[in-house]
Amino acid sequence: MLKKLLHSREVTALAFVVFMFLGVGAINPAFLTPANIWLCLNSSVVYTVVAVGIALVIITGEIDVSVGATLGMTAAVSGTMIRNGEPWILAIGAALLIGLLIGSINGFGVTVLKIPSIIMTLGINGIVRGLIYVFTNGKWVENIPFDFKNLSQGRLFSSITFFYLGAILLIVAVHLILTRTKRGRYLAAVGDNIGGATLLGIPVDTTKFSAFALCGVLAAVGGVLFVSRVGFVTPIAGNGYEMKVIAACVLGGISLSGGVGTVIGAGLGAAIMASISRILVFVGFSSDYDDTITGILLIIIVVSDALLRRRAVEQARRQRLAAKTQLLAADGKEATAGE
Amino acid sequence: MNKLKKQFLRWETFLVLVILLEFLVFGSLNPKFLNMKRLFSGLNQFIPVCIISLFVTFVMITGGIDIQAGSIVGLTSITVGVLWHDANLNIFVACILALIGGALCGALSGFFVAYTGVQPMVVTLGGSFLYSGLALAVSNMSSNAAYQGISDFPEAFRALSKTQLFDAVPMQFVIFFVLVIVSYVLLHRTNYGRKIFLCGVNPNAAEFSGINTRAVVMSTYMLSGLSAAMAGILLTAYLGTAKADMGSEYTLPIITAVVLGGTSNLGGSGGVIGSALAALAVGFLRIGLSLNGMSTQYLDIPVGILLVVTVSFRFAGTNPKLRKLFSRKKRQTVVTRAS
Repeated sequence: MLKKLLHSREVTALAFVVFMFLGVGAINPAFLTPANIWLCLNSSVVYTVVAVGIALVIITGEIDVSVGATLGMTAAVSGTMIRNGEPWILAIGAALLIGLLIGSINGFGVTVLKIPSIIMTLGINGIVRGLIYVFTNGKWVENIPFDFKNLSQGRLFSSITFFYLGAILLIVAVHLILTRTKRGRYLAAVGDNIGGATLLGIPVDTTKFSAFALCGVLAAVGGVLFVSRVGFVTPIAGNGYEMKVIAACVLGGISLSGGVGTVIGAGLGAAIMASISRILVFVGFSSDYDDTITGILLIIIVVSDALLRRRAVEQARRQRLAAKTQLLAADGKEATAGE
Repeated sequence: MNKLKKQFLRWETFLVLVILLEFLVFGSLNPKFLNMKRLFSGLNQFIPVCIISLFVTFVMITGGIDIQAGSIVGLTSITVGVLWHDANLNIFVACILALIGGALCGALSGFFVAYTGVQPMVVTLGGSFLYSGLALAVSNMSSNAAYQGISDFPEAFRALSKTQLFDAVPMQFVIFFVLVIVSYVLLHRTNYGRKIFLCGVNPNAAEFSGINTRAVVMSTYMLSGLSAAMAGILLTAYLGTAKADMGSEYTLPIITAVVLGGTSNLGGSGGVIGSALAALAVGFLRIGLSLNGMSTQYLDIPVGILLVVTVSFRFAGTNPKLRKLFSRKKRQTVVTRAS
């Protein structure tokens, strides 16, 4: 059990987070104050929610690069509605519906029209980005009421925000669904071996479609959280989020070829992505190097993971070969003894 | 006759028809569209995408994908600027150094893709973070503020884009045309090109037939990095400013052009002529729409729609359910006609 735990990919990600925080703490002890750590984690809430959504899609072996645009669109719509004094519940509902719609269009294109997901979602990304300009006329959505902005400041025990607590509950819930329910396990099955899943009678297309739809909805949740946290929405809001959350998933041990990884990993990866710019400031660099460090980290982690796995495969093969030769040698001895 | 029919049904012919249609529609809506000078000056902004898409085609034929080219454009642009402005190098020496830098950036990602077996999408995602971060770092070395960029380049350098052949065709377009021929010969008429195709069709078979598949795959990324550097230099010469964030929005149009040009994202089939035609078609679409009063921010909408619609026509045929739906309809009509 312990060995299994040590070998799981999330533990590597968790160890990395702890190591990173301790390392920075050694350089600048101010980083390791509880207040600062909570600040780091709390600020990762938008990334976390969107990363969980995209993790669902990635686990089925597809990709969704339209989440950034979905986040921007839903943020613009819900922000405008809240500013105009509509009931919050209506604004949030509208955002979720838009997210569901965009996700469903992606899912339709991938499962029915059989368009490769990267192309489909790239196209939808462009369309939605343009529609944000149509909707906002290129203007910022400002003057969000304080009540709504204050929502993001509510804290439990003055440490964890309710938003981040909700994100953690979301991770736990999605993780349980993915590992404990039949339909949830379909996702990894489809991502791991699509032919095998089809032969077993798993509804492959339905599974993929629901992953895309859920991803859209979670991106919309991210959009609403974004409005509350940031307090204004520019027409380029959410630009580049798709790349950041994909990077978060990869950092958290989710394989882009599908079937491998958990949403816990996605949450950890999101925490890493959100902390990097703060860490840089604490170590004494300009936060301009955020992207550079992210890129280097991403490449190092992925490459070392690939090399380690290749070595493990080689080792297993060698062990098998050794066992086989031993067996053959033993057989040979018996044969000579028989004569 | 059969040969003629085959030629007619080729994807490239369809693209030529699309371009002709665009000329017909936009030309009749706004005669300014048919003004050569106007058309070419509109296309100048889009030439970098055309150039890069030629060589990203190489990458996609090997079964990879390259989403880092846009960030290499920004990196080259700012490198040329800083080398000239702050290191006081001759502008053309700076260009050559930047070209080498671009090729090295591509080669680095190509190395990781080819020699460690990490998915190309992940590596180039890391690369896009890394190179856009490096571009920011380079621009911080300059004495000019990052948002201003570096301008006032010498006339000899500006001439790269200002010179016009026959008083109408700008130099950039001539360079693009030369590159089309070079890449066509390289991909479709040389041994090296055959190897690229074979690597995409079946890497194992290619390896067993004595092709160094890893070197071939790596070289395609290097070429695409080199072309991105070229595009960066041309864009800098055209705009007269070197900036770190240039080309950051090129990913969608580049992939659109390549996929629209008939190159499969799974590798093994495609061609540069298709990519060049598709890139021009997208470019003309953008010019035509903006001449007819569409704001530039909205232009991603039609481009996205064009991508999704054309690609869905190509891929929908691979869905057995859809195919059955249509063939049944056909059979029914046949039956009704017979009765």
